[in-house]
Amino acid sequence: MTRSAEAALLVTASVVAAFGTALIGFTRGVGLDAQVALTFIVFVSSFGSVHLALRRWAPSANPYLFPLAAFLTAVGITEVYRINPSLGGVQRWSLLLAGLTASAVLFLLRGDGVAALRRYRFLFLTAGVALLLLPLLPDTWPIHGIEANGSRLWVGMDIPGGRELSFQPGELAKIALAVFLASYLADHHLAMGTTRRKIGRLDVPPLGQFGPILLAAGAAFAVLVYQRDLGASLLVFALFVGAIYLATGKLAYLVVGGGLVAIGGIVSYQMFDHVQRRVSAWLDPFADFSDTGYQVAQGLFALGSGSLTGSGVGLGRPDLIPAAATDFIFAAVAEEMGLAGAIAVIAAYALLVAAGFGIALHTRDLFRKFLAASLTLVFAVQSLLIMAGVLRLFPITGITLPFMSYGGTSLLANMTLLALLARISHGART
Amino acid sequence: MPALFLNLLKLIFLALIYLFLWQVARSIGRHVGAPQAGRSSKRAGEMVVVRSDSIAGQRFSIGAPAVMGRSEEADIVIDDPYASDFHVRVGVQDGAVLASDLGSTNGTYVNGRRVTVPTPLIKGDSIQIGKTILEVR
Repeated sequence: MTRSAEAALLVTASVVAAFGTALIGFTRGVGLDAQVALTFIVFVSSFGSVHLALRRWAPSANPYLFPLAAFLTAVGITEVYRINPSLGGVQRWSLLLAGLTASAVLFLLRGDGVAALRRYRFLFLTAGVALLLLPLLPDTWPIHGIEANGSRLWVGMDIPGGRELSFQPGELAKIALAVFLASYLADHHLAMGTTRRKIGRLDVPPLGQFGPILLAAGAAFAVLVYQRDLGASLLVFALFVGAIYLATGKLAYLVVGGGLVAIGGIVSYQMFDHVQRRVSAWLDPFADFSDTGYQVAQGLFALGSGSLTGSGVGLGRPDLIPAAATDFIFAAVAEEMGLAGAIAVIAAYALLVAAGFGIALHTRDLFRKFLAASLTLVFAVQSLLIMAGVLRLFPITGITLPFMSYGGTSLLANMTLLALLARISHGART
Repeated sequence: MPALFLNLLKLIFLALIYLFLWQVARSIGRHVGAPQAGRSSKRAGEMVVVRSDSIAGQRFSIGAPAVMGRSEEADIVIDDPYASDFHVRVGVQDGAVLASDLGSTNGTYVNGRRVTVPTPLIKGDSIQIGKTILEVR
């Protein structure tokens, strides 16, 4: 019964995507064209393959994860396609690949499920850290880092034919690190949750237990310094601190983590130009409108002009915002679909996060419980950070909005993340 | 394209977006509201003390979250020198029966494994508090 409800929802989400593409055709004056059919076919094939994989290998998995993802992707791809049709075309192929990857993950984990990953804890830690630092590879190597907009978070790979394949390894690192954390915490949460001393009203675990947090702080700071990637840096650190707090329930970890963020923030503000620019654009984007504040200010204009129902897809000017198809996709959606569209998007994220934590709550096995919680946490923090950045509640962190931003790696990583969550929710009580 | 037509399309698109969310909400409502045949028979109803020096055989029904412990002020008093004053909370939360250890000194064990996070209980599970063992039925 749950799976047929899922199928119905996936069809509606695919219709949303096709309708969005049709809208753009109408505003461009070309009317209905083959693009509409192509979008619909890609959505149905991509999510259809995941749906069939779930029916076969995880029939009692949560039926809302992939429909919500399909809905967010539909709204996102509409706006990406509207901003730049060729990017929209690429994103369609990425979606197809991401759907097949998620199905493949469900196939590979068909036996014991995610429990099989628990043994390879240090492999995942190594992979996570390596992926995080991969963009530091020198420019002349066949696999090399790429510097864009002052940050070094891309990796290019030369492929035959003189072309280059580029991807964002940080998006995959978050999954590897979540698997490591879940496995580590499943074995160590008791020791980390033991408290013998109190400082004021705060239970304090033994000092040695703060090791993982300090390690994460070091890695996050390295990413901030050498890659100038504020987003990945904050995301990795929030994942570690949040997951440890979820597993132990000890407030001391949050306090220490928050303190380290404050210290790191102040130090990097003093030391680095790129952090200073982000902060000043956040505090007062109009002080330096034409330069550092331009992106944030244009984002605000877009949000403001959107009003209740928006300008209509294809009728606004989201192209005025730098990085409208990636970091600022939320501003573009709010401009052309209005407050109504923006709230629908936020509701879909909230439902996804609620579903994720619900899976964690109802899973008995500790590794799978912690893995569900960590994956949901990293997804939630990423969505929150970038939407808050666009709304000027937080400095811009330069990470993608899951499922909506243009970007193949991001789409692939987040579909894989959902496949893992879905597999955990299948047979959660054992 | 005439502006009126485009405006209409815009509103239809938004309506479609909310149709999706409504569909999700309705489906979740059914999911949560419907009594699940397979599960309801396994839903835990009460706890029976199966091992204890003093209170063996006592039964406690499982409903709203109740605190179990040695203190006279606990909802369910467990007469056991190894139990903490307020040891564990057991009850129905979000449709599942959960046991949440309240930071007890000697820990709460479900089916022999110490639990530190809220743990769902089903029929047949055992809960150990100090030396007292209860079975969920």
